[in-house]
Amino acid sequence: MESTPPTFSVELVRRAQRGEPDAQRELIVAYQHRIAGFVYAIIGRSDAIEDISQLIFIKMVRALDRLQAPLQFESWLFRLARNTCIDHLRRQKLRRIFTPFAPEHENVPEPEGAVGSEELDALRHALAQLRPQDRALLALVQEGRSHAEIAITLRTSVAAVKARLHRAREHLREHYQPNHEN
Amino acid sequence: MKTETQAWADLRRHASVHLRPGFADRVLRAAQAGAEAVPSLMRIFALSAATAVVCLLAVTLIGDPAQDAVENDFNLAGWQRIAADADEFAVNL
Repeated sequence: MESTPPTFSVELVRRAQRGEPDAQRELIVAYQHRIAGFVYAIIGRSDAIEDISQLIFIKMVRALDRLQAPLQFESWLFRLARNTCIDHLRRQKLRRIFTPFAPEHENVPEPEGAVGSEELDALRHALAQLRPQDRALLALVQEGRSHAEIAITLRTSVAAVKARLHRAREHLREHYQPNHEN
Repeated sequence: MKTETQAWADLRRHASVHLRPGFADRVLRAAQAGAEAVPSLMRIFALSAATAVVCLLAVTLIGDPAQDAVENDFNLAGWQRIAADADEFAVNL
């Protein structure tokens, strides 16, 4: 797994915190693709990527002045992204209770093969079997975050991260079968 | 697992093409528009306080204590008449 170097400088974050639109734009451009991938890993739907990514960055712009440690910007941003995705899934679940759709209208799946490679289809299928929190955990690892950084992001201990990660990986392996029918 | 690593890379690539050009500018415009549309907590509090004051003034100015007293006496007399009728009815039983 490649380690992702930080794509920000503390000075850039400080400028964005002061409300400079150029700095805010630069931060968004630097992170938009990584956040889009992160959102897709948790939500699993292409049609929601742009909306949720936009929501995450709007929250980022509005809450940036409350970030006390600019050095922890990345952990903070991915925590914001994780919480936004999990909130979205919870709201979707609640909405289904109050406005039930007919089974054929419920969460119409993206057709197999339409989203890319066989490996990607298999990964999407395997991720869909996991809890959103575990998907987020695996996506954070893929983002190159260390256990310590993930512990900061999730506000938990490194030991807890390792244990949860081990379980999530086991679970993913059980369902990840790129050469078989899903 | 090589294929899994490849799949994660595909996933990120697939996701990133779903952001239309001009994404950052749209975010900044939306954040700006939202900030203007959402009133601050102070403004909400001031509006609530002003509404409460207007209601209090309306009750004080429109309400007439003398009129209220007349109405109360009338209602009390009505209830006393009903009570007397009920007593009389009970005695006749």
